Amino acid sequence: MQSVISDTGVRLCLDCGKCTVVCPVTRYDAEFNPRRIVQEVLRLNGRSPVSDTIWSCISCNMCIERCNYNVRFTDFIRFLRHKALEEGAEIKYSHGGAPQTIMHIMAHRETRQDRLDWLPEDIKIAKQSNTAFFVGCAPYFDILFSDLGVNIIEGTKGALRLLNRVQIPFTLIPNERCCGRDLLLTGDIDGFLALARANMNEFGKRGIKNIIIGCPEGYYTLKVDYPKFLKDWDISVVHITEVIAQAIETGELTLGRLEQKVTYHDPCTLGRYSRIFDQPRSILASIEGIEVAEMSDNREKSLCCGASPWAHCGTVNAQIQKERLAQAGATGADILITACPKCQIHLKCAQKNAENNDVCQIAIQDICDLAARSLLPQEVS
Amino acid sequence: MATPYIEILVFACNWDGWSCIDATANLEVSYPASVKVVRVSCLSRIHAGLILKAFEFGADGVMLLGCEPGRCLFNVNGEYIINEYEKVRSILKILGMQQDRLVLVQLPAFSGYEFVMQVKNFIEKIEQLSASKRVKITGPEPVQDIAVLSQ
Repeated sequence: MQSVISDTGVRLCLDCGKCTVVCPVTRYDAEFNPRRIVQEVLRLNGRSPVSDTIWSCISCNMCIERCNYNVRFTDFIRFLRHKALEEGAEIKYSHGGAPQTIMHIMAHRETRQDRLDWLPEDIKIAKQSNTAFFVGCAPYFDILFSDLGVNIIEGTKGALRLLNRVQIPFTLIPNERCCGRDLLLTGDIDGFLALARANMNEFGKRGIKNIIIGCPEGYYTLKVDYPKFLKDWDISVVHITEVIAQAIETGELTLGRLEQKVTYHDPCTLGRYSRIFDQPRSILASIEGIEVAEMSDNREKSLCCGASPWAHCGTVNAQIQKERLAQAGATGADILITACPKCQIHLKCAQKNAENNDVCQIAIQDICDLAARSLLPQEVS
Repeated sequence: MATPYIEILVFACNWDGWSCIDATANLEVSYPASVKVVRVSCLSRIHAGLILKAFEFGADGVMLLGCEPGRCLFNVNGEYIINEYEKVRSILKILGMQQDRLVLVQLPAFSGYEFVMQVKNFIEKIEQLSASKRVKITGPEPVQDIAVLSQ
């Protein structure tokens, strides 16, 4: 406990409460108070009982953005959750715990997955390459959240088509596992490590040296968390928007034309966590005819989609989602563009469960899907 | 008689489903001891998370035993469970665990013989699946090399 307190810089907390002022959860649930959680742990020097409210944190990193002393509250919460689990706390899983169960099955069973059914023929995969595209949980999400009408795999297809266009050779890994981020966030370190090791073995067997990822959650986990937890991890990880934005800058890729007004939603893990704000915007700007309207909260101040690691999702999350969708609606855009599958799922869930039609029903699309679609008419003509 | 090592979990609805299990006792027919029955108020209370959980905990097969279409006490008529059943089958397929490990059986009330026959066939089928592709369960490895969250 003491080492975590010093590692995460919790001792530097000035009790100023800026974290609590900007926290989107606190706005709707006064019970959850980041400042109070930190101060209570410090007051009793780590011996205090862990409060139940730790499960409400949505790990959006808004508090770290504002904190003058860079107290890593989300890392700290993660540890408190780990401790609570060890002491026998039970997590209220959303969606019947299905996502976590799938992760545990992937982690602890030697399965040979059959997950590339969706791959269309027009996408060319290199037979041998040391660069891999990490698909992530998209095939699972599409089945699990089929009721919401999500189509995450379209974003992946778009990303692969763009890579084909730029002529970057890549391979797909048929037996890749989930990155384990949701287990890590809920404090299930054992499950996370099992997945991380399985992934590292899989990449090692295939001699993978570079990974391109479409999902920001996977990107941050592979890039930042894997090196912390796995000693031998030496694979470079880039996000698809970095690759595409660079290709556009160097002139290797020219996007097509689409007459639409869009707004870009910064996923927390891509924006505040990984500081990728400009690349997605430059991709959108390079599509001819696209008008980009910014929401009132954007970039570093972007409001979270109300995500949760598939646990303790409730009315607070729904209210955050509703607020974000209202911001999107206020821009007058036709489509909300995001780069994260989980943002798509969470926002669509809020739209589907809306009562009295008080939630903005804006269309939601993945940035790679949109960019790849802009190329379609050109190819036809 | 099938070997008792194929663990089957049956989710039986409280009405026609459970009556079939009840009927086996009245008719004095037996089904293998490896078949565990969980009685639920309606199959619509069973969702993808629970079915997958059974597989996570080591079930070799899961049977959803419910009422025939049109006989549901709550007038849900399997719409919900059929959706969840399809979802889990697709997930089992991409997980590489074979989708036939999950079956949905809708029987008339008190069909004890029919249930025993169905469950025995199911076990036989899973034996064949398991022989072709054994899914080995291994426990989590001990926690090591934690740099950040140790102690």
